Amino acid sequence: MPLWRRKSFWLALSVFWLLLIFLGLFPLRLAVPPRPLPGRSQGWPRWLDAAFLRSFFQPEALPEDGPQLRQAPRGSSCTWGACFDTSKCKGNLLKIFVHSSAGPTAEAHRRILDSLEGSRYYALSPAEACLHLFLPSQDHRGACGPLPPYWNGGRNHLVLSLYPAPCTRLGQAMVAEASPSSDIFRPGFDVALPYLPEAHPLRGGVPGQLRQHSPQPGATLLAVAEEKGGWRTHASACPWDRHCEQDPGPQQTHPGETLPNATFCLIPGHRSAASCFLQALQAGCIPVLLSPRWELPFSEVIDWTKAAIIADERLPLQVLTALREMLPSRILSLRQQTQFLWTAYFSSVEKVVHTTLEIIQDRIWGASGRPSLMWNSPPGALLALPTFSTSLKDFPFYHLQQGSSPESSFSALIWVGVSGEPLLKLIQVVAGSRHCAQILILWSSEEPPPDRWPETTVPLAVIEGHRKASDRFFPYDNISTNAILSLDVHSTLSTSEVDFAFAVWQSFPERMVGFLTRNHFWNEAQGVWGYSTELANEFSMAFTTAAFYHRYYHTLFTHSLTKALRTLVDDTPACVDVLMNFLVATVTRLPPIKVPYGRQRQDAAPLVAEGPGPRPEPQPLAQDCINHVATRFGHMPLVSSRVRMDPVLFKDPVSVQRKKYRSLEKP
Amino acid sequence: MCASVKYNIRGPALIPRMKTKHRFYYVTLFSIVLLGLIATGVFQFWPHSIESSSDGGVEKRSIREVPVVRLPAASPIPERGDLSCRMHTCFDVYRCGFNPKNKIKVYIYPLNKYVDDAGVPVSSTISREYNQLLMAIADSDYYTDDISRACLFVPSIDVLNQNPLRIKETAQALAQLSRWDRGTNHLLFNMLPGGPPDYNTALDVPRDRALLAGGGFSTWTYRQGYDVSIPVFSPLSTEVVLPEKAPGSPRRYFLLSSQMAIHPEYREDLEALQAKHKESVLVLDKCTNLSEGVLSVRKRCHQHQVFDYPQVLQEATFCVVLRGARLGQAVLSDVLQAGCVPVVIADSYILPFSEVLDWKRASVVVPEEKMSDMYSILQNIPQRQIEEMQRQARWFWEAYFQSIKAIALATLQIINDRIYPYAAISYEEWNDPPSVKWTSVSNPLFLPLIPPQSQGFTAIVLTYDRVESLFRVITEVSKVPSLSKLLVVWNNQNKNPPEESLWPKIRVPLKVVRTAENKLSNRFFPYDEIETEAVLAIDDDIIMLTSDELQFGYEVWREFPDRLVGYPGRLHLWDHEMNKWKYESEWTNEVSMVLTGAAFYHKYFNYLYTYKMPGDIKNWVDAHMNCEDIAMNFLVANVTGKAVIKVTPRKKFKCPECTAIDGLSLDQTHMVERSECINKFASVFGTMPLKVVEHRADPVLYKDDFPEKLKSFPNIGSL
Repeated sequence: MPLWRRKSFWLALSVFWLLLIFLGLFPLRLAVPPRPLPGRSQGWPRWLDAAFLRSFFQPEALPEDGPQLRQAPRGSSCTWGACFDTSKCKGNLLKIFVHSSAGPTAEAHRRILDSLEGSRYYALSPAEACLHLFLPSQDHRGACGPLPPYWNGGRNHLVLSLYPAPCTRLGQAMVAEASPSSDIFRPGFDVALPYLPEAHPLRGGVPGQLRQHSPQPGATLLAVAEEKGGWRTHASACPWDRHCEQDPGPQQTHPGETLPNATFCLIPGHRSAASCFLQALQAGCIPVLLSPRWELPFSEVIDWTKAAIIADERLPLQVLTALREMLPSRILSLRQQTQFLWTAYFSSVEKVVHTTLEIIQDRIWGASGRPSLMWNSPPGALLALPTFSTSLKDFPFYHLQQGSSPESSFSALIWVGVSGEPLLKLIQVVAGSRHCAQILILWSSEEPPPDRWPETTVPLAVIEGHRKASDRFFPYDNISTNAILSLDVHSTLSTSEVDFAFAVWQSFPERMVGFLTRNHFWNEAQGVWGYSTELANEFSMAFTTAAFYHRYYHTLFTHSLTKALRTLVDDTPACVDVLMNFLVATVTRLPPIKVPYGRQRQDAAPLVAEGPGPRPEPQPLAQDCINHVATRFGHMPLVSSRVRMDPVLFKDPVSVQRKKYRSLEKP
Repeated sequence: MCASVKYNIRGPALIPRMKTKHRFYYVTLFSIVLLGLIATGVFQFWPHSIESSSDGGVEKRSIREVPVVRLPAASPIPERGDLSCRMHTCFDVYRCGFNPKNKIKVYIYPLNKYVDDAGVPVSSTISREYNQLLMAIADSDYYTDDISRACLFVPSIDVLNQNPLRIKETAQALAQLSRWDRGTNHLLFNMLPGGPPDYNTALDVPRDRALLAGGGFSTWTYRQGYDVSIPVFSPLSTEVVLPEKAPGSPRRYFLLSSQMAIHPEYREDLEALQAKHKESVLVLDKCTNLSEGVLSVRKRCHQHQVFDYPQVLQEATFCVVLRGARLGQAVLSDVLQAGCVPVVIADSYILPFSEVLDWKRASVVVPEEKMSDMYSILQNIPQRQIEEMQRQARWFWEAYFQSIKAIALATLQIINDRIYPYAAISYEEWNDPPSVKWTSVSNPLFLPLIPPQSQGFTAIVLTYDRVESLFRVITEVSKVPSLSKLLVVWNNQNKNPPEESLWPKIRVPLKVVRTAENKLSNRFFPYDEIETEAVLAIDDDIIMLTSDELQFGYEVWREFPDRLVGYPGRLHLWDHEMNKWKYESEWTNEVSMVLTGAAFYHKYFNYLYTYKMPGDIKNWVDAHMNCEDIAMNFLVANVTGKAVIKVTPRKKFKCPECTAIDGLSLDQTHMVERSECINKFASVFGTMPLKVVEHRADPVLYKDDFPEKLKSFPNIGSL
């Protein structure tokens, strides 16, 4: 073997060895980049003997239980189960009796009383009440005023004070006071009220100030609540003089009464700032509460994380960064929620008081009370009565959240004042619709109903009415579908019209879908609401003598309207349309839906002035109704629309054969 | 070529020519070298890949080897818990600091064995569950091993069960932790608090300001918004598999009580119920006559009948969870697992995770006083609601009860949400079972609101180079009364837009935005220049729309601000032959889409289109230069759950002079492409969000027999 060959061989060998040793000393870290997982390099040890560890829970070792039986509850430790006797509420219905203190009634008391009288909670005698309302007098500070009779240690009593009251911890009574300190608040027992300004309206109230969903680009980011009331806004986004390095920029201070115009409203945590909270809510300015020391209003039921941000006051800069970087989607939903909550629960004294009572009513109902969704999504709990149904899918408002859709059949409810030929024809027309599930005749005529009814493909039933206008909207058990087609014996419709209107209703189950509409307007000269009867470019009300709406509105009409309003309708049947429209508009905050009506041309003022029964009377009366009802509601809920929903090919110059609802176009 | 051949001949020749002795020597040497190389190579790669797997870095040793810490008898004891503690008073939030991920950092103290002066251990070192709990935290995103960066500290001292603890010494052990500092930011987990005879409802170990995640709090001991109420973990959760039973499926008993240790007085009440309602109520007790070797935990008896526990729970609609000596009971977990609705009878008990979980949806709480009325209370609950509750109960168990890990992570999430409230998890995310989350829609524009007319709309014209047509569109659109701004999106990078002086003079501000790339999605970009909520997207060749039509379209949008409001409508159909979706542009009685050649919509949808479009739809649209309108229709319908609104009879945009049905004049390939888009988008969305309706929006008096000049929008009606 040649020498060079052997040499090179040894050389190669030694190079190999050297390489080996080298690699052994300095491992090729390139091969797999060592990824020291941050924070995981240590972790919790995997104990080799983990399998032999004993469980913390040794049932054998548990002592024979000897629980103490119920202790007599002490005032400071009252809970709902221990300090409220629900058995006093007959049929689980909350009935309240108000003990007004002797002497002159304070203004605040009078307003609370006003809001209760005539409501469904009101009890005339203490015996039928299961909750006694005690309004502590505000006159002499510190002293609580004389305790009412039937006090009974405060059991089943609610001490209600719209203002932070010095004397509220009384025996076993529940306390509802404005912005209670979180140290003494008993969750699930006390009720936290909002801090209302002196001049808060009794009914209705101003709607939220927000006019658009998303904030205006370039809108002020922050307004800061001032110590002495009012708001301070900044051109730059840094509100704290001492925290900011850069110049805080020009400041603008707004006097106490004006509402903040900003995306976020910073509210300090001390109790005196609680009054700013409602202002921010009304203005649609998202409240940013810095470590509040007080309980947020109605915190038992309202999910405030959907409308406000509760942050730590010690991290102002972090809060600021978070606000600046908040996603548009979050801002959008927070803003809308502030407005919904304001209008649903806070805009009037009446709403605040009723919300308080509904919270207690919900506790009495327990498992069948309102689910959280009802409290926290439009139209809000005051307008969503859980007695209607236990399934959210039955209500007109929650289809989206529930992923459900309205049913595909309706019940026709025909109000009959006078029997006659038109009725039989109407029955045939309605029964001709394939969506019709049943026909109900609400017999309100003096003469007895006929024994025989025409043969129809759908079941037909007769309900004996009491010849009262409010009968029309009673939640009859016979109504088996959620959709109702409300008709008058004089309504003249075609099957095609009915079918199309029902198809439209399925898209808008919370609204009224009507054929005949009227508009309201503000009569500047006389300072009253006016009512237009002639054809107009706009409308805000649908006649209930020919309209689709949800069965739920019958329940709402009968159970939520005050007695005074229902009596008004019985005395003046012409007002029933106006009242129903007010009610639905209060719930939806939207106009009804109008669908085409073929007979419009023949009788320009249709269905009017024929026979008795609840139908629009001559104009002055209807106008009276509007003004009367508007005063009762405390505001004008009606909204006008300029849109009519027509079939897609309505009156288009295309072949009639293509059209689904062709008879709609026949003159 | 030549060289290699030569080599091939020479190479193998090298070894055969050597002497046999040498050959053997060389072969051995070579193999050793080769083996060594292979071994090195393997070592280079192998160890690291182990290290990068999850548990490579953690140490493996025995629990018996943990360091022993001697606690002097005189070492300090923390103060008793401060009942007035709140996050903003007792929690040091500065330790958490700003964090882009909005996640708290949790540190776990290393495990020690504590002994007193005499060398007697303070407690057993660690229980199986506490070991699992710490392991779950260490494996989560919250964990940090850097004590100086931690925001929350979890001692490894096991206080899950108070029974075996030596209270004073455990407290001393806590106090000597390196960052104890009066317990600030320390989190203790305890499931079985109190001890005989009076069974406190919170851990008796003095712990100063430390947060307590406790099972069995009462309203007296629970510091709302500070402590966390957790479940008492049931070991049966891991031992027994109970398959989910469909809600509403028949169950033999209406009401069942399965607990063994019940106060005699309560047992009397229950047995009275059983006597009254016979078959539908079952009250079980422990078995007295079990043969040896049978686990008594897993058996229950009624008289002489033996039942398997927890399987028997699946036979009942409602299951009693009665307080014992302690308020928190592990049976709650078993009951939820069985999909049985718990009837909680424990006055003042704070239900697990009650800060975030809505127990009303999954349980019935009956005051102890009302125990005898329980049956009638339950009977009043309608069947539908019971089914809902059963589903919810099972879901709570799956999400928050079934393992120690689930409990630990839920606890940390609650604390995390308090510290980073702007990133907190919503009620729906905590409470809605997956089936509901999947089907429910939360409309981003849910507030019923009709924006004021005064705000007006911004018209966005996407253009490439058709300047003449563009100018005509600008002139036409500027006649619409409610127009407040015009934005031209210049999508041509090779050509400059015309000089300013050449543009039509209009009464509203006109802005030109130049884009970086010629993309269709530029039309849906949320430009800062858009100041109004309403946006009119309009093509640069849409000149046939009248001012009345556009103004009316805007009015309709005001009444339906959460919808797409457009002119020509289109439809999607299910093709039964091809088994897929089909695009339909015939003049049908239904619509499910509108063309965005001219359409009004809320500007928020621009944000959604640009930043939240699911999957690769945006890129697909830009690549195909088509279907951006279908994508927008899908997006809006999916997020709002609502149908589009077609306004006015307008049926088509192009060629106003041709009266033929426009399907005939359309290119067949175009239709195929559009159908493909629908199928593609439906598969990306995982569902078909489009909604079909039969109505369109017309002015109130449209085609009514009424003087035209008195109508608000007379100039509407051409196709």
